[in-house]
Amino acid sequence: MKKCRISLYGSCFRHFLFISPQEMRGPRSIEIWKMGAVNYLEALKLQEKLTSDRKTHKIKDTLLSLQHPPTFTLGKRRTVHNVLVSEAELKAMGAELHYTERGGDATFHGPRQVILYPIISLRDIGTGARKYVENLESTMIELASLYGVKARAGETGETGVWVGQRKIGAIGVRISSGITSHGLAFNIDPDLNYFKHIVPCGIPDKEVTSLQKEVGLGQKLPSEQVIHEQLVSCFTKIFGYTDVTWRDKTSVSSDGNE
Amino acid sequence: MARSLWATRAASYLRINVPCRGFATVLKDLKYADSHEWVRVEGESATVGITDHAQDHLGEVVYVELPEEGSKVEQGASFGAVESVKATSDVNSPVSGKVVEVNKKLSDSPGLVNSSPYEDGWIIKVELEDDSDLPCLMDPERYTKFCEKEDASR
Repeated sequence: MKKCRISLYGSCFRHFLFISPQEMRGPRSIEIWKMGAVNYLEALKLQEKLTSDRKTHKIKDTLLSLQHPPTFTLGKRRTVHNVLVSEAELKAMGAELHYTERGGDATFHGPRQVILYPIISLRDIGTGARKYVENLESTMIELASLYGVKARAGETGETGVWVGQRKIGAIGVRISSGITSHGLAFNIDPDLNYFKHIVPCGIPDKEVTSLQKEVGLGQKLPSEQVIHEQLVSCFTKIFGYTDVTWRDKTSVSSDGNE
Repeated sequence: MARSLWATRAASYLRINVPCRGFATVLKDLKYADSHEWVRVEGESATVGITDHAQDHLGEVVYVELPEEGSKVEQGASFGAVESVKATSDVNSPVSGKVVEVNKKLSDSPGLVNSSPYEDGWIIKVELEDDSDLPCLMDPERYTKFCEKEDASR
């Protein structure tokens, strides 16, 4: 009876002070790496190293915030039929093509598009793929709402973030022993013409859009750095991180050394 | 069990997240890994798949990457992957041995992993190696508690 009374008082005390069960367990920590422009393969090698380090608990949850030079990528299913031009033609326009192990279909990454690659342990937060991806969608929806843009998650089979029938944010994730890599790409103001060379995300007849296009071309957006930081803040809020460390990693090489 | 798996499919379709799913099915005659794969051992052979809890947390499976028949699998190591909601998730083997059969139906019907995770949605059959460490796998009661604890840490 005494034990029951103590635990009852404990839970009343916690509720009185509006402390969540998670807060009672301790803060959730993440380290944000602000990386600037990074070549796709360099970023991939870095993610592989960080994923391995996270699996063996050498590092805590880490989030890479960066952008890529013009790069087309395919997912594990190798849906090459959704790349509408040859690799030689892509090279001639100054873009690279990479085959990856992530989920999802064909996509484009380039300047003025924010990329977030969370390397986090889903098991530590009791989350599966579906909930994780929903949270990534919510992250981008929240950012869009800061600019008065009403975005929504895609219907079944159209994972990603949409404004009406136009896609503003894409997701492609890999989960290995419960550790995530790859992540999301949100269009601030990339050159949307690049998307004409693929069937984006394997969904034909749907437009791709950007934050700049949705707020109006005459409207000036804050600097990219500001928008990157806002997107990261949306992420940390939605995922419940309370202990957030920022590191400037613009000089980090693919082996993680500065 | 059919009714609870129907409820699973309905929840997935409606994108309902239920924090502690009372109706995640755990079968009595199987062993379970902490990465949410199940194994049915019958003598020297084993059948492997992913659990009802796993398929619910994945969402609708659209692709299953299968290993080659004849390849080796190692306990705790990845042998394939499933894709759902633009996420590929590695599938780990709960046992060590040689893959003798893969479920080819999953190439055309990957959704069997969701609708029938313990029967038609099996993934590989394995000829066991002597050093397969079966006692380190969880029994149904322990696996149920493991899932409850994991879901409570959200």
